[in-house]
Amino acid sequence: MKRSIPLALGAAALLTFSLAGCAADAGSTTSEAAGSASADCTDGPIKIGLIPKLGTDPYMVTVQKAVEAAAAKDGSTVIYTSPSDATGAAQIPFVNQLISQDVDVIAISGSDLNSASAALAKAKEAGIKVIAWDSDVATDSRAFFLNQADTSKIGDQMLASLADMIGSEGDFAILSSTQTAVNQNAWIESIKDKLANDSKYSKMKLVTVAYGEEKADVNAQKAKELVQAYPDLKGIIVPAGIGLPAASEALSQSGDLGRVKISGLGPVSLVSQYIETGNVQDVWWNVTNLGTLTFATAQQYAQCKIEPKAGTKYSVDGLGEFTVGDNGTVLLGEPTIVTPENMKDFSF
Amino acid sequence: MLTTVKTKLRSWEFILFVLVVVMLLVAAALVPGFTRPFSISTGLATFAPAALMALPLALLVIVRDIDISVASIAGLSSVAAGLAIRAELSVPMVVVAALVTGLLCGAINGFFVAVLGLPALLVTLGTLALFRGLCYVLLGGTPISPLPDFFTVLGNDNIPGLSIPWAIVPFVVLAVVFGIVLHRGKVGRRIYAIGGNPETARYSGVRVARIRFVLFLVSGVMAGLAGMINMGITSQVAPDGAQGLELDVITVVFLAGVSVLGGKGRITGVVLASILILSLRKSLQLMNVSGYTQGIAVGGVLIASLLVTNLSQRLLGSVRERRRPVPTLGVEAG
Repeated sequence: MKRSIPLALGAAALLTFSLAGCAADAGSTTSEAAGSASADCTDGPIKIGLIPKLGTDPYMVTVQKAVEAAAAKDGSTVIYTSPSDATGAAQIPFVNQLISQDVDVIAISGSDLNSASAALAKAKEAGIKVIAWDSDVATDSRAFFLNQADTSKIGDQMLASLADMIGSEGDFAILSSTQTAVNQNAWIESIKDKLANDSKYSKMKLVTVAYGEEKADVNAQKAKELVQAYPDLKGIIVPAGIGLPAASEALSQSGDLGRVKISGLGPVSLVSQYIETGNVQDVWWNVTNLGTLTFATAQQYAQCKIEPKAGTKYSVDGLGEFTVGDNGTVLLGEPTIVTPENMKDFSF
Repeated sequence: MLTTVKTKLRSWEFILFVLVVVMLLVAAALVPGFTRPFSISTGLATFAPAALMALPLALLVIVRDIDISVASIAGLSSVAAGLAIRAELSVPMVVVAALVTGLLCGAINGFFVAVLGLPALLVTLGTLALFRGLCYVLLGGTPISPLPDFFTVLGNDNIPGLSIPWAIVPFVVLAVVFGIVLHRGKVGRRIYAIGGNPETARYSGVRVARIRFVLFLVSGVMAGLAGMINMGITSQVAPDGAQGLELDVITVVFLAGVSVLGGKGRITGVVLASILILSLRKSLQLMNVSGYTQGIAVGGVLIASLLVTNLSQRLLGSVRERRRPVPTLGVEAG
């Protein structure tokens, strides 16, 4: 008897908790069903939930600001959430949160393809429209994918830019983000493909692929290790926004930058001082425009003005007309190689 | 009678129970959407893997050990399950693959700690990195999906007609099993005896090393089970599966009142602490608090519970000390 009281209390607490759930379930099933029916098309302002890969990533924050600016025009609400790990699993509670908050649209930058797919399916069931931006999720989990740039072109441009700096000859390495990063792995594949098949790059050799784990200090460390491990290294491609400035700074401090050139992908503002010296080039696009496109697509989709069908055309204020491609993909535009000459056109 | 009621009221489990009730009432009143069935069921499901792993960890901490590699074991077990799925084995075989992997991982920890006598914290810190590394080596960068329906249902669906997810069922059942074993059986008394004083326990005929070894095995198997639920929740097997869950697991155990010094702690406490951390995380989530701040909150709870449970023990100890006619040294030695 002595020991049974706390156990009974615990069981009672658990039971109460579950029963509360059941009771609430019975009570609200009808209202939820009604909610989802009317949520199918929204008139006027929308409520959009924006899920980035990482809440503090400056790239993601720039998109957030652009979405908020676009939303402010018609009084739409933006809920920006902040996962602290760049994993798909870490995004699940945030998807569930937005479902509980009855948003009209969830716009997600997928940390991986599948982790959030069951949660996104529940969103769809609840009448919430799902779109992806920056980094795609599984095709049947979302309607539109707003792609900042063509995957194969980004890989090609990074390789072309490095080839330009090192005279198309010598060893180079890739310093990527994480082993499971969808975008980066696709770019690396396309770089390997080019190396194998394009005679322009026949004298260039990819010696290794390292991973900076989306952390500045790890990227800096790995960049220094690469230079030491491969004395003949001529260049590094860093296809990640956190890695590119970190690697540039690390090699600049160690005095290797110049002998080793860096090309990659990342916010221009973070590497502008190294681009000026000619030792770093950057493949980039206008990030603010991605946010503007994301909001406009979410809004028109929520208002049932557009469908994710190939060939659908719609216009976005200030950006012009966009056409939906295969699988609901909408391309923001062409990626540009940023050099000292055109640097001032890129504010982020 | 009055004194037993008094001690009951002073027990940590009772304080936890009050905290849980207050937390649930406050959250229900102040956090919009907290009482929605959807929030409750997704909250329970998402927390299930951590809660499951807290059960055996509580026993390990009671015998003065710890296993901080549980999340990595969960990850590695799900990778084994994934490889079995890729080899097109049947669902029961996939389950066996995961559980056996968990068992083997537990055996490795148990061998170094219970047989060779190395410190549990350091051994499992090593295996935390080792098992996680193996996940990446075995699987590479490409996750395995889709999974057999069994796992996606386990991770995502509710019991038909209720807003209770399948994912929490193993925890509810096993919490009862662990409670009976620890508080009603011979094994439970031996576990407390080891935690109270390993030497005395050994001289009383308790097979200390064997029990500690078996507890690591149990921890491994439970982590394997948690790994399967986690892969269901994420609809895929990824090398980073269950990564970072150890913070919640360890916080639940110490919040439950399991003493770092061993010999103290109850399964009721683990259940209550699970509800508390789960409600805390869900409330913060629904208030759109970032993942970083949630980390601060859970980490803060861990430190606070260490402080409270240890300070209260020390205070009670010094009070008893003063009442004792003959002063003795080393209050904490026990």
